[in-house]
Amino acid sequence: MFRDSSRSRLILAVLLAAAVALLVLDARPGGDPVTSAVRAGGELVFAPAAAGVDGATAPAAALYDGLRRSSGSSDRVAELEQANADLKDQLRAARIDEQRAKQLDELLGLAGLGGYEIVAARAVTHVTARGYADTVTIDAGTESGVRPDMTVINGSGLVGRVTEAGPRTATVMLATDVKSAVGARLEATRKIGVVNGGTVPGGPDAELTLELFDLEAPVESGDRVVTLGSHEGAPFVPGVPIGTVDDVQVAPGALSRIAGITPAVDFSSLDVVGVVVRGPDEDPRDSVLPPRPDKGDRS
Amino acid sequence: MRTVVTLAAVPAAVLAQAAIVNRLPFDWGAGPDLVVAVVVAVALTTSPAAAAGCGFAAGLAMDVLPPAEHALGRYALVLCLAAYVLALLRRNTGAGGSLDGRTSVWAVTGTVAATALGVGLGYAAIGLLMGDPRVSLAAVVVNTLVGTALTALVAPLVAFPLLRTREALSDDGYPTVQGPVPSGRW
Repeated sequence: MFRDSSRSRLILAVLLAAAVALLVLDARPGGDPVTSAVRAGGELVFAPAAAGVDGATAPAAALYDGLRRSSGSSDRVAELEQANADLKDQLRAARIDEQRAKQLDELLGLAGLGGYEIVAARAVTHVTARGYADTVTIDAGTESGVRPDMTVINGSGLVGRVTEAGPRTATVMLATDVKSAVGARLEATRKIGVVNGGTVPGGPDAELTLELFDLEAPVESGDRVVTLGSHEGAPFVPGVPIGTVDDVQVAPGALSRIAGITPAVDFSSLDVVGVVVRGPDEDPRDSVLPPRPDKGDRS
Repeated sequence: MRTVVTLAAVPAAVLAQAAIVNRLPFDWGAGPDLVVAVVVAVALTTSPAAAAGCGFAAGLAMDVLPPAEHALGRYALVLCLAAYVLALLRRNTGAGGSLDGRTSVWAVTGTVAATALGVGLGYAAIGLLMGDPRVSLAAVVVNTLVGTALTALVAPLVAFPLLRTREALSDDGYPTVQGPVPSGRW
C-alpha cells in the first residue's frame, strides 16, 4: 500500500528536512537574516496583491459587512432592505472614503489627546489560514517608520502591538491573542494588573481577562482599564483605553483577582489603525478615556 | 500543458488565500483553505514525489506571505507530507476514484475534507511540539472542524475543476508529469 521508489522517498526526505530546518531557524528568538529576507520577498508579492484586492472589493466588502452586522432572523428582511439602500449609496467610492476619513478623524483625536505620534495604516488581513493566532496585517512597514514592539491603536483604544515589520507591511498581534499580555491600570484607583488575551485558567469566559495583583483593591463592573505603559514606550505606551470591567471573580485561595474585560475596540471590524511611532513625553493618565456619560456608545 | 495549469493554479490559490480569504473578517477564526483544495487536486493526478514538491512549495509560500504569525516551514512540512501520502495512496490503491479514471465530485470533496482534517491536526501537532500556547484542545477542535467544513464546501468549486482539467489533459496517453518521474512499476 505504501510502496514507492527510493528516489521518490529521498525527495520527500529532503523536503521534510528543509521544512524542519526552516522551522528550527525561524522559531529561535530574535531575527534571522535568512527568514527575514524570505519574508521580505513574500511581502513584495503580497503588497500589490492586497492593494489590488482593496480596490476591487470595496463594494463587496461593504455588502459583507452589512450582512454580518444584521443579527436575528425576524428583522433580517428589514435590515437587508436597509443594507441594500445603504449599499446603493456606498457603491460610490466617495462614501467609503468618507467612513474611513471618520475613523481616521477619531484616531487622530485619540492620538492628539494622548500626545501619541502615529502612522496611520489599514488592516489588510483579518484571519490566518489555520485560525489559531489573532493577528492582522497592516499596510505600513519600516519604510513608514514602523518597527517591531510598537503600540497599535485605533479611534476607540488599544488594538495590539507590532510583532514583525517588513518594508511595506507589518504583522500586528491583537490584544485578544492568547500570547498577548498588556500591563494595565484601573482608571482613577491606579491599581495595576495584567490584561491577557482570551481566558486564563479559572477566569470568566471573555475576550480579555484582567489579573489584578492587589486582592484588596476595590474593582467592580463598569470600571475602565488603560495601559500602564512600558519602559521607554515599547511595546506599550501609557494611557491607551483597553476596555471596561465586565464581571469580577474572587476565587478562594487565588493570589490575584480575575476580571473579564469588554474590549474598547471592536476587533471584528478593524479598518483604520494607527501605529504609535513616538510615545507621549509624560503619562496622559486618564485623559484619553472618553467622558463617563458617553461610555455606552464607544464604537 | 498540465504543468502550465498547475504552475498557474497553485500560485493563484496561494495569493487568493492570502489576499482575499484571509481578509474576510470571520468571527470564528478559521476560513476555508483554498491551498489544501488545490494541492489535493494536484496530488491525486501526479507522482508522490511531484506531489510532495507541490505541497512543500505551496505551504512555504503560505508561510512566507504576511501575516508572519507562525514559524516558516510549519505549513510547508504538513502540506508536503499530506500531498505525498495522498499521492502514494492514490497510486498504490486507486482509492478516491472510480475504475475509468474519472473522479466523482463526491470523492473529491471527501478527499479534500479528509486531507483538510489531517492537515489541521498535523498543524496543531507541530504547534504542540513547539510549545505554541495558542494550541489548546478547545481551539484545535473549533479551528479544525470549522476549517475542514469550510474547505469541503469550496472543494467542488476549486479542487474539482482543476482535477478534471488535469485528468482531461492527460487523456492523450502521454501524461506529462512535472517533477522527477518515479522509476519502475508505473
